Amino acid sequence: MTEAALEHARLQELVAAFADGELPPDEGHAVQAHLRGCARCRRELALQQELSRALAKEPARGASAGLRRRIERIGAPAPGRSAFLWKRRWAAPAAAALVLIGIAGATALRSRHGQRPVAEIPIIRDALADCRRVMGRNFPRKADLQAVAEGLQFPVRPLGRPGAELFSTWKTTLAGSPAAGLAYRWRGIVVVQYAVPTELIRQQPEVGEALRGAGFYAASEQGQGIIAFLEGGSGTVLVADVPPEELRRLML
Amino acid sequence: MKAEPKRACFQSSTLPHLDRLVTLASHWADGHEAEDDVQETYTRAWIAFDQLRDVGAAFPWLCQILRTVANERRRTRARRQELVFITGLEAAHEEIVASDAPSPLDELLARLEAGRLREALRSIPEDFAEAIELHDVQGLKYREIAQVTSVPIGTVMSRISRGRALLAGLLTVSDEKRAKQGVGT
Repeated sequence: MTEAALEHARLQELVAAFADGELPPDEGHAVQAHLRGCARCRRELALQQELSRALAKEPARGASAGLRRRIERIGAPAPGRSAFLWKRRWAAPAAAALVLIGIAGATALRSRHGQRPVAEIPIIRDALADCRRVMGRNFPRKADLQAVAEGLQFPVRPLGRPGAELFSTWKTTLAGSPAAGLAYRWRGIVVVQYAVPTELIRQQPEVGEALRGAGFYAASEQGQGIIAFLEGGSGTVLVADVPPEELRRLML
Repeated sequence: MKAEPKRACFQSSTLPHLDRLVTLASHWADGHEAEDDVQETYTRAWIAFDQLRDVGAAFPWLCQILRTVANERRRTRARRQELVFITGLEAAHEEIVASDAPSPLDELLARLEAGRLREALRSIPEDFAEAIELHDVQGLKYREIAQVTSVPIGTVMSRISRGRALLAGLLTVSDEKRAKQGVGT
């Protein structure tokens, strides 16, 4: 290859950047000088400019009103459901859950066991926080039971109720202990299950007493139902936007 | 930063870019998936907002997050249905620039329906298409694209140059095929 051909090969690589005004002055001058004597590169320049201009005129899509509303709610101060970011496909289930909560009435908004707020029960507090976190991020996109159970010292048993469709799993930490998170679609709502060590759930204030008495713990916090129970060598905590009475239907 | 001032700052820095991000997301995904990706992008941006040092650079920063989100989703589902044969497109491009005849591109672009050019862009290899989308449609500078895609600026330069050449080849080849089949553009 001759020196001129080598120079042509080098400069033709720069024609697009020259068209976009992205070259430093010295290289820009070199390309400009080359263009004066090279018809092929002039045609390349015209082609690059035409396509760039045409693409810039392509119609923009823009955000839907629903997406804009959901994004404007990000970081809203209310810690309850209003701060949750529902995906478009969860909008209908969320609305259904709201109706159920309305029917259940104000009693569902109070703790069912004594006076201790759920925020003082580490495993419940952490489960609610983790639930908000995964909902805010629209849940991990895969459901892999084997992967989520790997390395845990207790079994992870998914809910066996007909109609409970598992769609997401993730590893997390509750009350300082490794735990597995599982999310289901069930009767038009989203239910989150946490699998935790048996001993951990027994040690929790109020929860341990409830397990020894009624065999399960139930509470409500800001419209979310929470139940906890032991089954099959591990502890289970369920959280959903329904009263705990509804959630009990899901006990294994 | 306290929650409310942070939220106000987050909204004023990021919301003006929402429509552009949805347009960019539609390069990688269709319909609701594109909006889901944008929502996930804003959620992650909110969590990491304290790391954004220059609010003037919010758009490339959001593009970078969106690209990660889209890539994570694409790992589990291959979107591209058909990839074009690059060698044939390079030959078609060479024919345009080496010929003394008037370029067919002017007339071809003039009769192309709105949106078809971006559709065609999705048929060339992703690295090239992405660089062109970020520059020509989203208006990012080369150095910003290098930052968003984590490649050297020389690679961005090469991808844009070669990508437009492939796009020109694709448009002419497709047009010739349509003409042979007697179908309008």
